[in-house]
Amino acid sequence: MTSPLPAISARNLTLTLGTVEILKGIDLDVAAGETLALLGPSGSGKSSLMAVLCGLERASGGMLNVGGEDFSGLSEDGLARARRGRIGVVLQAFHLLPTMTAQENVATPLELAGTADAWARAGDELAAVGLGHRLSHYPAQLSGGEQQRVAIARATVARPPLVFADEPTGNLDAATGAQIIDLLFARRAETGATLVMITHDEHLAQRCERVVTLADGMIASDRRG
Amino acid sequence: MAKHAELRPYATAWRIARRDLTLRFKGLRLLLICLFLGVGALAAIGTLTRSIERELATRGSLILGGDVQVAVWQRGLTEAELAAIRPSGSLSNGVRMAAMASAGELAAPVELKAVDANWPLYGRLTLQDGRKVGAPLRGSAWISEGAAARLGVGSGGSFAIGSQQLTVGGIIADEPDRLGEGFALGPAVIVSEDFPQAAGLIQPGAMYRTKLRIAIPLGRDPKLLVDKLKARFPDAGFDLKTRDAASPGAERFIERMGQFLVLVGLAALAIAGIGIGGGVGSWLESKRGAIATLKVLGATSADIARITLMQLLAAALAGTGLGLIAGVLVTPLLTRALSGLLPVPQGFTIEPVALLTAALYGLLVALVFTAVPLARARAFPAMALLRARISPLGRDWKHAALPIALGLSAIVALALSTAPDWLVTAGFLAGTAAMLLFLGGLGWAIRKGLARLPSPANPLLRSAIANLHRPGAQTGALVTALGFGLSAFVLLAAISSSLDANISARVPARAPDYFVMDVPKPRADAFRKAVLSVAPQAQIRMVPALRGAILGYGPPSAMIRVASLKDIPEKAWALKGERGLTYADGVPEGNTVTAGKWWPKDYAGPPLVSIDEKLAETLGLHLGDHMAISLLGVEREATIASFRRIDWDSLGFNYVLVFSPNAIADAPHNLAATIDLPAGSKPVSLLRDLARAFPSSSVIETGPMLKQARALLSQMSLAILAAASVAVLAGIAVLLGAIAAARAARTYDTVILRLLGASRSQLLMLQLGEYGLLALLLAGVSLALGTGIAWAVVVKLFTFEWLPNWPEVFGVLGGGLLMVLTFALAASLPVLRTRPSKALREL
Repeated sequence: MTSPLPAISARNLTLTLGTVEILKGIDLDVAAGETLALLGPSGSGKSSLMAVLCGLERASGGMLNVGGEDFSGLSEDGLARARRGRIGVVLQAFHLLPTMTAQENVATPLELAGTADAWARAGDELAAVGLGHRLSHYPAQLSGGEQQRVAIARATVARPPLVFADEPTGNLDAATGAQIIDLLFARRAETGATLVMITHDEHLAQRCERVVTLADGMIASDRRG
Repeated sequence: MAKHAELRPYATAWRIARRDLTLRFKGLRLLLICLFLGVGALAAIGTLTRSIERELATRGSLILGGDVQVAVWQRGLTEAELAAIRPSGSLSNGVRMAAMASAGELAAPVELKAVDANWPLYGRLTLQDGRKVGAPLRGSAWISEGAAARLGVGSGGSFAIGSQQLTVGGIIADEPDRLGEGFALGPAVIVSEDFPQAAGLIQPGAMYRTKLRIAIPLGRDPKLLVDKLKARFPDAGFDLKTRDAASPGAERFIERMGQFLVLVGLAALAIAGIGIGGGVGSWLESKRGAIATLKVLGATSADIARITLMQLLAAALAGTGLGLIAGVLVTPLLTRALSGLLPVPQGFTIEPVALLTAALYGLLVALVFTAVPLARARAFPAMALLRARISPLGRDWKHAALPIALGLSAIVALALSTAPDWLVTAGFLAGTAAMLLFLGGLGWAIRKGLARLPSPANPLLRSAIANLHRPGAQTGALVTALGFGLSAFVLLAAISSSLDANISARVPARAPDYFVMDVPKPRADAFRKAVLSVAPQAQIRMVPALRGAILGYGPPSAMIRVASLKDIPEKAWALKGERGLTYADGVPEGNTVTAGKWWPKDYAGPPLVSIDEKLAETLGLHLGDHMAISLLGVEREATIASFRRIDWDSLGFNYVLVFSPNAIADAPHNLAATIDLPAGSKPVSLLRDLARAFPSSSVIETGPMLKQARALLSQMSLAILAAASVAVLAGIAVLLGAIAAARAARTYDTVILRLLGASRSQLLMLQLGEYGLLALLLAGVSLALGTGIAWAVVVKLFTFEWLPNWPEVFGVLGGGLLMVLTFALAASLPVLRTRPSKALREL
């Protein structure tokens, strides 16, 4: 059996904003279905690396292949299209659209990708994260934990092979945070997606198969959990 | 699957856009209000002008009493003239003059209108008892309610004019051609055509006017007849009117007013555009997170553009629709203000073309002013979610350039193609663009200038200055909005106070109590005695009164014929139609000779004339030049001996042309007199005695005339101000919107500063410093811009005098500045009142 193509393959990735060098030559391969934690102190470049890997930011240099697509040559719009249905993102501050209900929030990525049954699938996904009774609630009517559940449903509803999570428990209390992580890992297990998670929390990082530590824009260590 | 979205991108975009829209259009209200005001103003203006045009087109003949009117002073039309006109259509001849009516002990000056059996050529006269009639029978009269009240007679009663008795056939309810008759010299009395002659009112030299109306066959252009008459009888002194300019007030005023209204509409739109740009800019700024989130979820720039465009379009359509409704609803108020002055329809009118044009203007302005913020929204990177609020966003000019160019071209084309005077409109558009560029440049200069200033030691002042130039500062938008808004305040105050002053200056507070026309020359002494016997303290002034038209002027060898002039300049109004002429031995009272010499008493040399210096200047006349006039159909020439300065403000006898007695005294004529009575003494028997002793003379009471003139000017002033107020309202909306937007951008700072221990009063002082500084810098600019535009409107457009009340202008500017500061402070109160912990959670 041949080993599957890596979900992410980065070579000598650099990112410079203005005169500040943020990423200084990152080499990283992430296998399909792998769970990986990006660890490191503030300012080490974790969020920037995630932004580049999921196509929110274009790298200044190097080569990046995500899900078999070469990201290095894509425009901002090309990257947006590449994310559709293939990459799910969960952010620390949830970033739900405040004027949309939970179901509308979850349906949006499917609609942008042109999925016909977006509405029904959004309802099913919310039910799967335990919010079947909150479909028509607006973000402001939901607790922090519930908002992050909606964000997870939104990230996984299209069954993307790759899910990124940036400090998903950063805005939550410990108990709620633990529930959210359980949910995130459970959804990943169900979908078999590759999960890249940024965290400060060593403990949380240990739940991933692999832990990559960044320092000053470079990979300081890469170990299996 | 992705293909599905590409095929139906607009359906998907609309689904997402719709979710974000509420009926209250939160965040887009400035766009809504600005479009509402701009489109509302244009819709009202368009509806009004179109309905006036329609009224003139459909009712012009009714208002004028014919399709063409030929008017001439002091004579009837000659057989040759009538023969030339007769084949053109059906005719109605008549005479208009001031006269004295008396009934028993009561007497009243009236406007006598003698009409032939064909009158009215269009419509019917309605009497108060409901009868619809034509000309009265011989010996009978239709009299206005005013005349009936003054004479104490009703239907069936009798009264006398001149030497004849008349029976009241009915009281007038609606006279079809009343608006076309113009300024009334007294309440109307309509009699049959031969009455003035029979009553002895038509004597050689008597002041009367013949009006011949012609109804031409359907489909024929009345202008052709006018041109034919002008060519055939160039020196006849005809005053020719067509149904297109039926109302005397309409001719000059409608043209000016129409132009002014269009400019006001465009100004309101330009101001609205600034508001739209600012409103949409800050709305999109508040949407930054949502847009970036959509991009994270896979939305492309085109998706974002479609979604935001649809939201803007929905708000723009709502604002435009509401504006159109408001425009239609407000038009009856404007027509009420103008009724009596112009032919206006009553009630609601819907003018589809005007409404469509207004909507098109509104949507085009929205397109132009939202293009840049929309292009910026396209370019919002997904990473904006993770970056600071002040990080600069690139301006995507590439995507904005095409819609701006298209929108601007369409606006310019639409404005120029519908403008009554394209040069004025083009000038206005260029001026608006220059003003926008100037204010934009000023905003930039203020930012750069303040950034270079050394930091003041006072921390509040330092922060206030820093707030105006630091990254993310809204200084540019505020300078444009405050500049336009405050200029609008100054503009309105300067126009309003100038118009008020003009009304006071043009309509004198003190004028002679009576003008008496047609006092027979041989009975001058008897007249004087008759007045003094009733009112011993009365001051009487009498002058010879003749009428004639200027036919030519200039050096004797190269005289210019008035009939050969293509256009008669505005200031050379004396060349149009017939004018009052007089002769005198000495310089008339209130006149000063500014050049040349006055002729000696009993002068017997070649005929001489003295001319108003302003007319001389306009026509380029020199002493020694000649002037040719037509007097009772005979051409006479005189040499210009002097120029005079005339005090037009005194409502007495003022003549542009005063001749030496030997030049015109031989022509048959009467005298005109003014009677000044001591304040409060108006002997009731004066009019009655004059009516009895001088039956062919007519008296005009100045009191009601001045009241009428004042009312007319006040109406014009009201209409001008009502229209200008729309621009000011738009200015206020933009001003408040800009402050609110700038405030929203500053909320974050305020919360953090409070967290760091700043007191409420410190923060208020900071706000006060920032806006105070900006307002001070802009006060001078607004004063210059506002008064400059007001001057152009008052002097150039309406040809009134520039008489602004400066304390009022400064007061209004001060009020505007106070409003800016109050609103700026009030806008920050909600954040200041909230506990820092709560405010922090809500950031």
